[in-house]
Amino acid sequence: MEAIALRELRRTWELLLLLTFRELKLRYQDTILGFVWSLIKPLLLGAVLYLALRRIARFDIPDYQLFLLSALFPWTWFSASVMLATPSFAHNGNLIKKVRFPRFVLPFSVVANNMVHFLLSIPILLVFILAAGGRPSPLWLVGIPLLTLVQLALLMGIVLLVASFDVFFRDLEHLTEVFLNLWFYVTPILYPLEWTGRLKPLFLLNPMSPLIEAWRNLFIHNTLPGPELWVSIAFVAAAAALGVGAFRRLEGGFADAL
Amino acid sequence: MLSETSEAIVLEQVGKRYLLNLYRPDSLKTALLHLPSVLNGRQRWPFWALDDISLTIRKGESVGIIGPNGSGKSTLLRIMSRIAPPTRGKVTVRGRVSALLELGSGFHPQISGRENAILNAVLLGLNLREARERMPEIIEFSELGDFIDQPMRTYSSGMYVRLGFAVAVHVRPEILLVDEVLAVGDAEFQSKCFAHIEKLRAENVTIVLVSHDLWSVARFCDRVVLLTQGRVAMDGAPQPVIHEYLSRIALLTSLPTPLPSGAPEI
Repeated sequence: MEAIALRELRRTWELLLLLTFRELKLRYQDTILGFVWSLIKPLLLGAVLYLALRRIARFDIPDYQLFLLSALFPWTWFSASVMLATPSFAHNGNLIKKVRFPRFVLPFSVVANNMVHFLLSIPILLVFILAAGGRPSPLWLVGIPLLTLVQLALLMGIVLLVASFDVFFRDLEHLTEVFLNLWFYVTPILYPLEWTGRLKPLFLLNPMSPLIEAWRNLFIHNTLPGPELWVSIAFVAAAAALGVGAFRRLEGGFADAL
Repeated sequence: MLSETSEAIVLEQVGKRYLLNLYRPDSLKTALLHLPSVLNGRQRWPFWALDDISLTIRKGESVGIIGPNGSGKSTLLRIMSRIAPPTRGKVTVRGRVSALLELGSGFHPQISGRENAILNAVLLGLNLREARERMPEIIEFSELGDFIDQPMRTYSSGMYVRLGFAVAVHVRPEILLVDEVLAVGDAEFQSKCFAHIEKLRAENVTIVLVSHDLWSVARFCDRVVLLTQGRVAMDGAPQPVIHEYLSRIALLTSLPTPLPSGAPEI
């Protein structure tokens, strides 16, 4: 029995890898700039935000371009994953109806795919850091895997939850799009968490707040996350419980609903 | 461990109910508007696609499932392959199942036949190493030659199903469930497919074959089950069951008046 379970585990893992590689390959196939698009999008957004907020609205934040990008790259991983993974069951109805396989690999491969894009954007961030006179620290070797793991686990719970419900309520695809747009502004991406003042406890109810702060502190100040990261970790546990619970309850109905 | 028992698939009083929509809450709005009726299920019409099916299929048996359209054949395969759970009753399946409900599920036109074949093989139950090891056999069987490294959008529909079939039969399952997919390719490729199924049979693979092609059912199966309206109408040796099915069709088509439709279950 154990041998079979191990075999299945290995196969599931390989399936996840194959799907992730396929997505990586397909995403920018037949484009001239290819993977560079993954960098251009947050860089352009960063440039416009820099112009609007630093030059025009006169935000008093030193090295604002760095401040923005160190948050925009992890945020892009987060929002693109949720947005693209939401319909990952619903749009693969044909596969779900015809083949028996561990279905959770579908949303997870979207998350993994976007994670790879995020990790590949770190060198670009490094260029900006060096240009601003900063230096990478050996602490990155601990911080990057740690924060990647927390964000990955958070995403896995969220996408499992949303993608499972999306099979039955396709509205979720539109809802997540709207919600992610709003979420962007209530996450300390454009401004530091300390600017939120008395509202700070409220902002800490957002699992992405401490995570974005932690990414920024790691990249700009070379410091490891403080106790506030525990808020995010608590959200990871909640998202995992909800995601696994919803998936288990709803999975049986996927083939009939699609 | 698994060979101690000789039963491959056991269905005990299996029923599958579909709720047909009067108001299917496929969006939040309709669900909210019809919340009371959605919650108590009053607006939906229960339809039993399968009703009280008890079947035992032994290891190494080849069983054909026949019956008119809408009799529940495909639903039965879907339940045996555990793609959808039964509404009631119990399903026990012992052994590695490969369900051939469709050829080339998940094939993507933008990537090569080789990459698609590997992903498909892993989807159907192999691990990556086994899938890579079997690629030469799969390529040879599919007769694709150098086309294997071309993106699948360049394939003809014949090439597409040939690759799908080649992968499916090289997954080497202990139980093979086949839904009406054998009629693929030209006559030559078809006979090759049949020869391969024959070989699997000789290797004691359990085969469940859903088909309208009574000739191939008679040729490949040791036993045939006739389904009508979600129930087992007859179960036994191929000749008498096929004969019964054909005589029912003859009876129906000779009726002068429109058929009285079967009384609904509800």
